[in-house]
Amino acid sequence: MSEQDYKYIENPLHITRREFITITGIITAFLALPSIWIRSVATANNDYIKARTKNLYQDDVQSKIRVSHANKSVARYYKEFGGKPLSRLSEELLHTKYINRTKALS
Amino acid sequence: MHSKNMILKHPLSVRIFHYLLVISFVPLAVTGLILYFKPFSESTMNLTIRVHVIAGILLTFDALSFFMIGYKRVVLFLSRVFSISGNDFKWFAVLGGYPQKLLLHKKVPVPPMGKYNSGQKLFGVCVFIGGVILIFTGLALWAFPHNLPRGTVALLGHLHTIAAWALTLFLCVHIFLGIYMFDDFKAMFLHGKIPYEEAKEMAPLWVEKEIIPLPKN
Repeated sequence: MSEQDYKYIENPLHITRREFITITGIITAFLALPSIWIRSVATANNDYIKARTKNLYQDDVQSKIRVSHANKSVARYYKEFGGKPLSRLSEELLHTKYINRTKALS
Repeated sequence: MHSKNMILKHPLSVRIFHYLLVISFVPLAVTGLILYFKPFSESTMNLTIRVHVIAGILLTFDALSFFMIGYKRVVLFLSRVFSISGNDFKWFAVLGGYPQKLLLHKKVPVPPMGKYNSGQKLFGVCVFIGGVILIFTGLALWAFPHNLPRGTVALLGHLHTIAAWALTLFLCVHIFLGIYMFDDFKAMFLHGKIPYEEAKEMAPLWVEKEIIPLPKN
């Protein structure tokens, strides 16, 4: 059956201008409100991350000891007790073991 | 036979939109169910999520392009599905006469309907609201989940799941009734036209108020 094998169509002017504008306004609001909400949530989250990053950098700037191997307590631990980093005793006391918690989390 | 007395119900633009909707939503529904129940190995689940994302992108482009190219039809569709009258309540009271027709082989009086009957209107509302929710939440969950707080991501995930379940369950009814109304099925998938007499019986208000003879050039 070809495309011309019909006698009737829908009236393309069935909708009034007022209805057209009203529905367009509702669609715009329906699409815009969630977008604005998502944007504000993402912006607030980014602001929080930026503030936290800034404070971490500030902590580093203010800290007298910035790396673990310069920490006198850690150096004293290795000297008087643990031997050296990754020694058997240090590994036993300071290192943790991997536990697969994937199933517990899902 | 009314082979010449036909109404163009679904123009080509609508049919193309519907074809793309079928080839994107059906894989989305299947892969969505697999992702929900997680029955396969990790590698298969990874492949499933890739197919889900690609089908989701296709669905988004399909919806966006139809929204831009056929905006007037979108407005007409929304105007039809969101218009409620007393006839809709009467239609739901007898469920359009379908259970009586299918189970008891009995014909009961059904209030006159427009282009869409009340069940199709409800489906249309669900497709529009659910579709927008699925596209928005799916995009956020895929593209920028780490830019949002964990609680918001969880909320979007729940919304995505609820909308997906609602539309997938509705889809089963839609497919069944779509095939049951075989002339309309052929119109949507093949030529776009339905017989005038059948339209007059199924959608008398549509034929009376909205159908005009093809203008002669």
